[in-house]
Amino acid sequence: MSFRLECKKIRRTGLTAAFFAGGIIAGALPVINTAARPDTFTTMAGSPAAVLAGANLQMISMLNLLLITAGACILYHIEYADNALQKMQSLPVRESGLFIGKCGILLPFFLMMILFETASLCFCGWHWLGAGKAELMEILQTLGFTLLLTLPAAVISLVIASACRNMWTALGIGILCIFMATILPENNFIVSLFPYVLLFQILPGMETARVLHYCIAAVCETAAACAAEIIYLKVRRLFA
Amino acid sequence: MNIIQTRNLTKSYGDFTAVSNLNLHVPKGSVYGFVGPNGAGKSTTMKMFLGLTRPSSGAFVIDKMSYPHNRVKILREIGSFIEAPAFYGNLTGEENLDIIRRILKLPKSAVDDALELVDLTPYKKRLARKYSLGMKQRLGLAGALLGRPPILILDEPTNGLDPVGIHEIRTLIRSLPDKFDCTVFVSSHLLSEIELMADHIGVLNHGHLLFEGTLEELKEKAAFEGYPDDNLEDMFLALIEEDNIKRGGVK
Repeated sequence: MSFRLECKKIRRTGLTAAFFAGGIIAGALPVINTAARPDTFTTMAGSPAAVLAGANLQMISMLNLLLITAGACILYHIEYADNALQKMQSLPVRESGLFIGKCGILLPFFLMMILFETASLCFCGWHWLGAGKAELMEILQTLGFTLLLTLPAAVISLVIASACRNMWTALGIGILCIFMATILPENNFIVSLFPYVLLFQILPGMETARVLHYCIAAVCETAAACAAEIIYLKVRRLFA
Repeated sequence: MNIIQTRNLTKSYGDFTAVSNLNLHVPKGSVYGFVGPNGAGKSTTMKMFLGLTRPSSGAFVIDKMSYPHNRVKILREIGSFIEAPAFYGNLTGEENLDIIRRILKLPKSAVDDALELVDLTPYKKRLARKYSLGMKQRLGLAGALLGRPPILILDEPTNGLDPVGIHEIRTLIRSLPDKFDCTVFVSSHLLSEIELMADHIGVLNHGHLLFEGTLEELKEKAAFEGYPDDNLEDMFLALIEEDNIKRGGVK
């Protein structure tokens, strides 16, 4: 119900077009990068997934993160801009349902981007690096891992957007978090657990135990962000 | 029988008390006019009824249901319009109402019905952000009337409307209890306006209820206490001024 309502609400916001265009751009990046200098990549050691992820995934993740942050801001901007949220609050719906509905909107959009990116990386692997079925599976796993590790940042972006009446404040905080992620040292395990750093971790070449730790961290951080939102909504109602 | 009843309802923000020990009695099937100057606490009271603001103390019962235990059930019974029109600017008037219709699980015809009631049908395909203030006000009203709820809470519903619109909305509000068997709780800062709509009146000033009863009872009280009773506006002003003086000489 919430999901269908949210689908109705995002009409004419440009959200679909933004994510579609973002997916195309993110998908085009590895193709252009590999096509421009194929020799650089074909001579590199390592599996096609490792080569392609190392060369493209950071930029792709950055683009994903920027779009997720902007998307979250738009999703809550429509609620705050003309006071629609107050109308929602005076109707028999739970605000937590509203939040879950918005998560339900943001994630398929992100999934669409990931699909474009996966298709693009698979094409690069097959066309330039001679990737077979096993190598393509590795690329799929790499993107799946990125998808899971992006979840905390996506949910946190929505939490921030839900707390800020002014969209530019939410966007500013999001951008600040993204820039902070770029200056934090990724090789420190504890620091790399910061949600906005987590998604920059690359699967190929990572120890199995570390992979497991990151997956658990992503699930826990996502659950914690959802719980924080529910608590925040209760507190906000209490002090209204 | 009272469909809305409050008991010592109070709302404070720090050391400022917006609503103080309010004891309201809204009879079922009536148009109850809630009148008071700006900042008297009318909107705060209405927000408490809708769960938008939590009471600091006291309680209220709406249709035998108490807050906060039955908040969602209470909201199913109420159509509301608070302060300014609230809508999704990126959606058309019709789409805005369709969102509310889906939440209330009403048939599709409810949207057209509500648009017709507020004369917004010709503009239903226009984006809500492109509506004039009066049209936004009508859209807000249509949202409140959607599904013909048994209780309507309307906060200054004629704000921003032209004289013709004001007359239409007044006539509509006046007709609602008979047409839809509902109770209307409507606020205004103009007693002269409330007089044309309401059969019961509550006068609020600085969060205190100065009077509750019918218009006739108000006139009787005014005559008894020596306020001007031939002109409602003068009577209202005298009532408020007297209360202000009692509270420390504030005019």
